Amino acid sequence: MVGGIDRRFVYNVDWVLLGATLALALVGVAMVSSATHSGRYPDLYLKQLALVGVGTVGLAVAASLDYRRFADRAMLLYGLSVVALVYVLRFAPVIAGTRRWILVGGFQLQPSELVKLAAAVFVAKVFSEYRQETLGLRDVALPGAAIALLSLLIAREPDLGTAVCLVPMFLVVAFLAGLRMRAVAGLAAVMLLLAALTWPFLKDYQKTRIYTFLDPSLDPRGAGYQKIQSQIAVGSGGLLGRGFREGSQAQLGYLPARHTDFIFSVLAEEAGFAGVVVALGLYLLVLWRMLETARLARDRLGAFLVAGIAGSFAFQVVYNVAMVAGLVPVKGLPLPLMSYGGSSVLSTLMGVGLVLSVRMRRFAN
Amino acid sequence: MRIYEDLRVVQARLAVLQALAVVLVAALVVQFWNLQVVRARHFRDLAENNRSRLVTLAAPRGALLDRQGRVLVGNRPSFNVVLTPEHAPDLDRLVARLSAVLGVGEAAIRERLARRQPYRPVVVKTDATLADVAALDARRRELPEVSVEFVPLRSYPLASAAAHALGRVGEITERQLQLGEYKDLAPGSLVGQAGIESEYNREVMGKDGFRRVIVNSRGLEVAEAERQAPEDGPSLTLTIDASLQAAMEKAFEGRAGSAVALDPRTGEILAMASTPAYDPNEFTTGIDASLWASLATDPLTPLMNRVIQGTYSPGSTFKVIASTAALEEGVITPATTFFCPGYLAVYNTVFHCHNPRGHGLMDLRRAIANSCNVYFYQVGIRLEIGRLAKWAKLMGLGAPTGIDLPHEGSGLMPSPEWKMRLFKTPWYAGETVSVAIGQGQVSATPLQMARVVSVIANGGRLVRPHLVKSPAGGVEAPASLGIHPETIAAVKEGLRAVVAEGSGWRARLQTVEVCGKTGSAQVVSRSRLEKSPNAQALLPHGWFLAFAPADAPTIALAVIVEHGRSGGESAAPVARQILAHYFGLDRPPGPGDAGVTDTEAED
Repeated sequence: MVGGIDRRFVYNVDWVLLGATLALALVGVAMVSSATHSGRYPDLYLKQLALVGVGTVGLAVAASLDYRRFADRAMLLYGLSVVALVYVLRFAPVIAGTRRWILVGGFQLQPSELVKLAAAVFVAKVFSEYRQETLGLRDVALPGAAIALLSLLIAREPDLGTAVCLVPMFLVVAFLAGLRMRAVAGLAAVMLLLAALTWPFLKDYQKTRIYTFLDPSLDPRGAGYQKIQSQIAVGSGGLLGRGFREGSQAQLGYLPARHTDFIFSVLAEEAGFAGVVVALGLYLLVLWRMLETARLARDRLGAFLVAGIAGSFAFQVVYNVAMVAGLVPVKGLPLPLMSYGGSSVLSTLMGVGLVLSVRMRRFAN
Repeated sequence: MRIYEDLRVVQARLAVLQALAVVLVAALVVQFWNLQVVRARHFRDLAENNRSRLVTLAAPRGALLDRQGRVLVGNRPSFNVVLTPEHAPDLDRLVARLSAVLGVGEAAIRERLARRQPYRPVVVKTDATLADVAALDARRRELPEVSVEFVPLRSYPLASAAAHALGRVGEITERQLQLGEYKDLAPGSLVGQAGIESEYNREVMGKDGFRRVIVNSRGLEVAEAERQAPEDGPSLTLTIDASLQAAMEKAFEGRAGSAVALDPRTGEILAMASTPAYDPNEFTTGIDASLWASLATDPLTPLMNRVIQGTYSPGSTFKVIASTAALEEGVITPATTFFCPGYLAVYNTVFHCHNPRGHGLMDLRRAIANSCNVYFYQVGIRLEIGRLAKWAKLMGLGAPTGIDLPHEGSGLMPSPEWKMRLFKTPWYAGETVSVAIGQGQVSATPLQMARVVSVIANGGRLVRPHLVKSPAGGVEAPASLGIHPETIAAVKEGLRAVVAEGSGWRARLQTVEVCGKTGSAQVVSRSRLEKSPNAQALLPHGWFLAFAPADAPTIALAVIVEHGRSGGESAAPVARQILAHYFGLDRPPGPGDAGVTDTEAED
């Protein structure tokens, strides 16, 4: 296989998807630079650039591998994911009150980000095995439980944002696999019930976030502060923006988590509505091309794998941007491709690699 | 070879997902349009409020100078500790730390925070010490929300001296903010709250400047965006003579009372004292509540300016008015005599003279000199209340003098019309008898009485007393009352005799001839006083009016010593001390003083 890449594969590389992906990653590097240049770590964007480089290599590797090989090892990947997450819960150091990261060769690695990919492969494999036209709730119960286990382990870290990402991934694939519309409705009801049941187990800060989302003036200095400051940043950007490194909200430190979860606020403030439309256009393009790839996939496995990755990607993008715009409660969820953070960049780019891999092999045996 | 799976359902449902993606992104675009285009101005303002902080640069108020240019009221540098709490991550901790560093109660800080306006710094401590400033500077990084402002603070180097004339400053009150004349001022502004400071508030107020600074989210200043320098208020020259003022304060030696000295030719106030007084320095940074309470409830009313607000029965000093009226109305001549047996029985009442054995046969000069009541009972009976009231009002009783100070009292000159209006009862002729010697309903402020005696001193003109020199030296000529020179001369003769040989002898100076008139204002009836002669609070107030030198007066004076018994005993010596200082007689004669009496001290 190595060195033996079919020439047809290269013709079938989705250059539009790759170009849009890398463009977003580079915009992200620029925004990280703007958000951090006056702070304690002005060179953070270089690190992010290097991570994009590493991620691109990961993307190439993922694209060059046959996704069916992964799928064959879906159970192993799932098992490894559970082990990794349990390990994190037991042994990872506490950073900022959470156990999310493990140290690998001097780098902080966030296993939950890579678990997302493993979960996508697992879900795609399981559903591609089904041979019936339509699926009922009973059919999705087992894979659902498997994904719920991963999700709960991640939620325990706690990392509610990433944990929730697995849900749309699962739902999208189940939907494509032929889940009956009645079952879709039933599943939605179950999700709501679960949400209601988890409410008592939410941490106080999580509850506060939801309360203050509903009324930010309740606590303008606390949880509401992030939402208010983000909206101010976005709104004050206006049509054309304040200019690169000119946004007062970002530059003077009023924006919280401005190089990570709120990176899109920096973009909105400094590049304005015009920049927002361009960025959202690129994200829509990436999403559209992914779903096209799923449509063109040669088999259900490929279609489900791409759709799962796209589902999780779409959820993160839409939720994060909606959060920045003050439409949904603040949750620690990075914006794929733009937020600073190695694991997120790596897993997103590798996910795109898997998507490319499916498209490249649409005519292959 | 190849087995294609049936992907039709998958592809159909993928189309649904694609549509969903477009709808979601479109919804986001709509929200961003709303925030960034529709409401952009609103959020731009909020961002601006976030990043810029307005720092007021307080303009010093103009100095108040005495007639020689000596500073009566100035400014001294001070530091205010201010807090901008918008972005404080933990306000409770911040307040606790600040309270510990500055030694200010947490409750006091919280109370100030509760009254703040958004994005305006809150003054946490006024007039902070250098130690406070150093302590804060050392903690600049921990307490970035806290800053120190330089503020010129009003200072009164004479402390309580002339406090009532000069007034005091204080934070603008809620009520003042409603008034048109203050409508351009912000809450927290310092404005005059009494005396000259209040009357000439606008004249001495400077124009505050400001600094608009860019601050980061921790509140640390990162740049200055705009600066407008404050404009100092212009200084104001008063007619007060600081040295005479000091002598006047000293003459009271802790007794309650008041005195005012003015130039009878122009109405310029040379000195004005009201005791007990207060220290206006206590008010400049917001007075302590307990101190305020003790000042406001003190039975000796230290906050009241007795010179313009204390209304007393004028007693025998009213005889200056009665004499003038009687001569002008032709009721008597200077040579008219009445016999004083010590009382006068008239209208079914016995009216006493203060000398129970009687003064004997009195002409006008001797009647004034001895303050003979019987003589003036007779004068009153002949004048009747109408003409007496007319002259009292002409000479300034019953109406404010128009001095340039706020809240001046007007006193009262009773008349039949006034009594009918107020009490619905007719005037009794017997009341006129009392009023003629300054008893009964008649009341006047010391300033009004100083003005009355000035009429005799300046040859018949009613001056408008004032504390601020008129601009461009244009002193308005005081209105002439049209009094005959003979009348003035006759009354003056009487006043000369008061000091030279009568009840006012204690005001006598060796080299300068002083004219004067004693008086005592009864606090309770004579019979009640006789029952408890030693109760201090029941003793009459002692009055003394004076002017000097007799032939060309340059100073006129009214002194009242509360509960001082008779004016001759209590007020005349105070007047003497003031006059002695004025004429330079209170110090051992120097080589340049040979024969000097008035001119040197006057200029």
